Amino acid sequence: MNILSLMGEDIVEFFTGFGNDFYLNFIKNARWKYLVNGLGVTMKVTLFAVLIGIALGFLVAIIRATHDKAGMMSPLLKAVLNVLNFLCNVYLTVIRGTPVLVQLLIIYFVIFASVRIDKSFVAIVAFGINSGAYVAEIVRGGIMSIDQGQFEAGRSLGFSFAQTMWYIIIPQTFKNVLPALGNEFIVLLKETSVAGYIALEDLTKGGDIIRSQTFSALLPLLAVAAIYLTLVIILSNLQKLLERRLRSSEK
Amino acid sequence: MKNNETKKTFNPDTDPLISVKDLKKSFKDLHALNGVSLDIYKGDVVFIVGPSGSGKSTFLRCLNRLEEPTSGEVYFEGVEITGRNVDINRHRQKMGMVFQQFNLFPHMTVMKNMTQAPRKLQHKSKEEAEAEARVLLDRVGLLDRADAYPNQLSGGQKQRIAIVRALCMKPDVMLFDEPTSALDPEMVGEVLQVMRGLAEEKMTMVVVTHEMAFAREVASKIVFMAEGQILETGTPEEFFNHPKTERLKSFLDRIL
Ligand SMILES: Nc1ncnc2c1ncn2[C@@H]1O[C@H](COP(=O)(O)OP(=O)(O)O)[C@@H](O)[C@H]1O
Ligand SMILES: [Mg+2]
Repeated sequence: MNILSLMGEDIVEFFTGFGNDFYLNFIKNARWKYLVNGLGVTMKVTLFAVLIGIALGFLVAIIRATHDKAGMMSPLLKAVLNVLNFLCNVYLTVIRGTPVLVQLLIIYFVIFASVRIDKSFVAIVAFGINSGAYVAEIVRGGIMSIDQGQFEAGRSLGFSFAQTMWYIIIPQTFKNVLPALGNEFIVLLKETSVAGYIALEDLTKGGDIIRSQTFSALLPLLAVAAIYLTLVIILSNLQKLLERRLRSSEK
Repeated sequence: MKNNETKKTFNPDTDPLISVKDLKKSFKDLHALNGVSLDIYKGDVVFIVGPSGSGKSTFLRCLNRLEEPTSGEVYFEGVEITGRNVDINRHRQKMGMVFQQFNLFPHMTVMKNMTQAPRKLQHKSKEEAEAEARVLLDRVGLLDRADAYPNQLSGGQKQRIAIVRALCMKPDVMLFDEPTSALDPEMVGEVLQVMRGLAEEKMTMVVVTHEMAFAREVASKIVFMAEGQILETGTPEEFFNHPKTERLKSFLDRIL
């Protein structure tokens, strides 16, 4: 037997082996559905969590910017604002100071312990609250980076503080932070992979279920990684496209 | 609200449009204004000049309370707008302001820059606000830039838009803080031309500037400030030809 035919045999063996593995992990018993359904759950959780995060983040950032920037106001309003600002600071400190997985577990096993509730809802709430803290810092930076003259021009026309924020500051902030928000979406997409800890069948969990059934780890986990990677690459490109669009609309 | 009820009937022909009484403003331990009093009447074109850091901008910004005075009073059309419970936003609608850095809203077209405040604050219809804006744009020769964004404009164009944006609110007084200081020299003239036109129409104006020739030509009254105080007030003739204080004499020597 010469060396070539030996290699040939190995190659054939390898491919039949791969074919068998592939069949076992993805085709047999329609196991691919774990990945497809998991992907759907991952996308859903990420999307809604990011929306909650953006809403919460803007709210917190606006409260903090109002607290820092608003001028004269009634003592009552000032007191309310102080309390709100304090609560925001507690929220930011706690959320950014603890791991997201711990937050998820607390929300699932402690806060929602006594109610039977859809696990993806819990994940959306947990990741949304978590994301909000990071978005708040992004938005706060965005608000602070807007020229003070924009506030003054708004106020000098007779707009109230709130109107100036709404018509003049927030739209510019939104435009400025959109790329960073896209980034947050990508980060969150990957972070939701710990949702399996509350037995939510997301993409990662889907791969893991296949692994536990077939006792072969390589293919299911590689497939999971490849899907995440593809999503991230697509999202990054969308983000770049958006940035280019935004820049050209200013010219 | 309380202030409106207690205000005496305001006669625009005899009472000052703006009356400033013993205005003081400190930034921490820095005294930017040390007791400034000034009456500005309807149709006055008051120029405020003085060395840099003398408190000119601070004074101007106290007039519409972009800066909160530490003490003293500002009356506008008979109402003490430095008082408690004053709806300052309402009064600011009647006080246009033009900034050195233009401060146009970069995310809005020229037209939107001009119509946003009249529509939201005076509840004008889109059509009405835009029609009024077009008249003003035409007057400053920028009708064809209505759909442009601010960063498509030259500095001189930006400042002309900033002026007509303020005029869209039909203010009773216009405040200018060094409106030509950020401009390339060749663009100063077009902005001064618009201001000259306003003065001729008897718009009440308070102008902080270093354009002395323009002040001499247009001012009805020139105020000289130094170290947070008004040292001298007079007509352009008195100001340039018969300065009373040594400070003004040396100031004029330096800049003329
Ligand atoms: N926001 C501020 N904080 C601290 N100091 C200020 C502020 N604005 C102005 N000043 C100070 O007040 C003084 C008067 O400033 P300003 O009114 O801008 O003078 P001018 O316009 O005549 O050049 C200056 O010493 C300036 O540094
Ligand atoms: Mg100044």
